[in-house]
Amino acid sequence: MKPQLSCPRCGTAMNHQADKLREPTTREEAESARFGGVLIAVFACPNCGRIESLPQPHDD
Amino acid sequence: MASDLVRPLFVPVILGTQRTGRMSEHAARAVLAELEQRPGVATELIDAATLPIPSDEAGEAAKDPEFAEKVNRADALVLVAPEYNRGYPGLLKHVLDTNLAEYVHKAVGVVGVSAGIFGGARVIENLLPVLRELGLVTIFWDVNVNNARTRFDETGALVDDTFLAIGKFLDELVWMAETLRYGREHVTTGGPA
Repeated sequence: MKPQLSCPRCGTAMNHQADKLREPTTREEAESARFGGVLIAVFACPNCGRIESLPQPHDD
Repeated sequence: MASDLVRPLFVPVILGTQRTGRMSEHAARAVLAELEQRPGVATELIDAATLPIPSDEAGEAAKDPEFAEKVNRADALVLVAPEYNRGYPGLLKHVLDTNLAEYVHKAVGVVGVSAGIFGGARVIENLLPVLRELGLVTIFWDVNVNNARTRFDETGALVDDTFLAIGKFLDELVWMAETLRYGREHVTTGGPA
């Protein structure tokens, strides 16, 4: 199931443009990290350009 | 899309040093003035020295909402980075590290500034892996401001723009910014949902 998000500014369905790793910031995140980090899904709004992100479970 | 046509590219210039007497400020203002002449481009100077980012926090824990909002809105960034003992200023790295998702698939160009003959070439090379990790997309033109102490007059105006290639640098940055905006907003990773 691909992650989905609506733009908090204009309500438009956002585009899932990338998955990115970020460094763990807590012990809990570090213990569950794969590929060396926490996976986040990055979205862009095709109407207003806003960027948002959501943490994602790793699915390889 | 109609919204793409009415929304100008936003390309802020980040001045990455707080040192007194910084020549990089003159370089930043020179690039800013060139950007302001470009149709369809909005810009502003962001002075890293004035951002209210704490030095005892790091990464997104130190995020400044106003700076983050500008990075979120940006389509591309110009970084003006002086070379200090072949490296980048700690302040610039500290400021850049306060955001992450906001940078992904956005263009970045670097203006290197040095007192010597290499025009910040080494600070630019040192920044490239950092920018890649942040998700930014680097362009293949740089601006190398060498001999910075003699490049500007007492008012900060450029007295010698030999080899600076600011026009080519901005042509490429704007092309990359336009292309990546389309990609961010219309091309889905892993294929359509």
